[in-house]
Amino acid sequence: MRNPYTGAIAGLAGVLFLSALAVAQNNGQNNAPRSPWKYYPMDRATGDGGPAPKRDLTGTWAGPSSGSGAPRSRTEETPSLTPLGRQLFERNKPIGKFSPGGTNDPHTRYCDPFGLPQNMTQEIRGMTVTTLPNRTFILLQYMDLWREVWTDGRTLPTNVGGRGRDTLDPKYNGYSIGHWEDDYTFVVDTTGLAPQTWATKSGYPHSVEARVQERFHRTSKHDLSVTITMDDPKLYTKPFSIGETHFRWVPNQQIDDFTCIPSEVQQYLKEMGDPAGDPTVTR
Amino acid sequence: MAVLFAGLASIDRPSFAHHGAAAYDMSKPVVLKNAVVTEFLWINPHPLIKADYKDEKGEVQHWTMEMGSTVSAQLIGWTRTTLNYGDVVTLYVWQAKTRVPVGRFNKVEFSDGTTMRDTQTGADDGGRADRDVRQ
Repeated sequence: MRNPYTGAIAGLAGVLFLSALAVAQNNGQNNAPRSPWKYYPMDRATGDGGPAPKRDLTGTWAGPSSGSGAPRSRTEETPSLTPLGRQLFERNKPIGKFSPGGTNDPHTRYCDPFGLPQNMTQEIRGMTVTTLPNRTFILLQYMDLWREVWTDGRTLPTNVGGRGRDTLDPKYNGYSIGHWEDDYTFVVDTTGLAPQTWATKSGYPHSVEARVQERFHRTSKHDLSVTITMDDPKLYTKPFSIGETHFRWVPNQQIDDFTCIPSEVQQYLKEMGDPAGDPTVTR
Repeated sequence: MAVLFAGLASIDRPSFAHHGAAAYDMSKPVVLKNAVVTEFLWINPHPLIKADYKDEKGEVQHWTMEMGSTVSAQLIGWTRTTLNYGDVVTLYVWQAKTRVPVGRFNKVEFSDGTTMRDTQTGADDGGRADRDVRQ
């Protein structure tokens, strides 16, 4: 008599076999000796690892573009623009519509810095968090950049980009302060962002006065998510979500190098991006 | 069978979204048989494969195609020496809508019959199987 579970067992075995085969083919490293200097995306943290430690994000994390299996990101919601916001938005030609040859995205064309918040939503591969008594540092693999988040109780500056002797210059990553909202949620508020950067890959702008809030929520030892909202009354009629990014713990804490190199981008655009650009694409 | 495909679908594939597909005709990949590699540039944001392909009329076309980023390609076994000057291979490519000989690389078949894919194949080629490739 045929076992009614035979099909299911065979199916499950098939899934496991094919998945293992595909992973092996995809990775080609399962039987290779391990180097402490190399990132192995298939050496993944297993399960949730247990409860998250309290008030601790320290360590190296793998984002959705790292090949590590971190869940996909949620992108920004469609915001409601003010007339000035729409005017600025319509100047921007995002790569998704205009291709590398037709975009005026300053990062795509010149490797200009993403700036916040885009550097927390694009090319999210590796991220390391480390702390000092008065600051938390967020180190991002892509572009080898670091952010400084003050936790000493100071308030955000109010004189960025203004007039007078005490004014502060806008910065690509802005001015950031952070605090623990509860034992597992670290909230970072930022303002003073360099206005020439885009807030999103789709070309939404921001002003110097924009306020960006990131909520780093550690749900377990191995899982971290970051949700981002932006409030910029000059350009948007109400605050809106920039998106959510998920991270997984990296067992050997090693992440590879990856950056945008202007000379290589120029070569890429000259030989590939610009010839491939489609001049018939219009907005 | 649906379970099998669900299992396979859960394996991660890097996003195609880095530089988008707006410039390419994703409906009909073309095949360059016996193309000769002239250069393999291991650069960011995308490595470039340059190859000469002789068409049916005997005219040589000089092709350039991009693939996934270096870090993504490394994850599936690519290195800066995977392709070398003079290699004779078959290249599958999504050609630019401008119809110039540039495009998005899909996969390569080596002379020994082995194949290596771009980081983006699978879900990112729209799920099309190789039987849909126009020879």
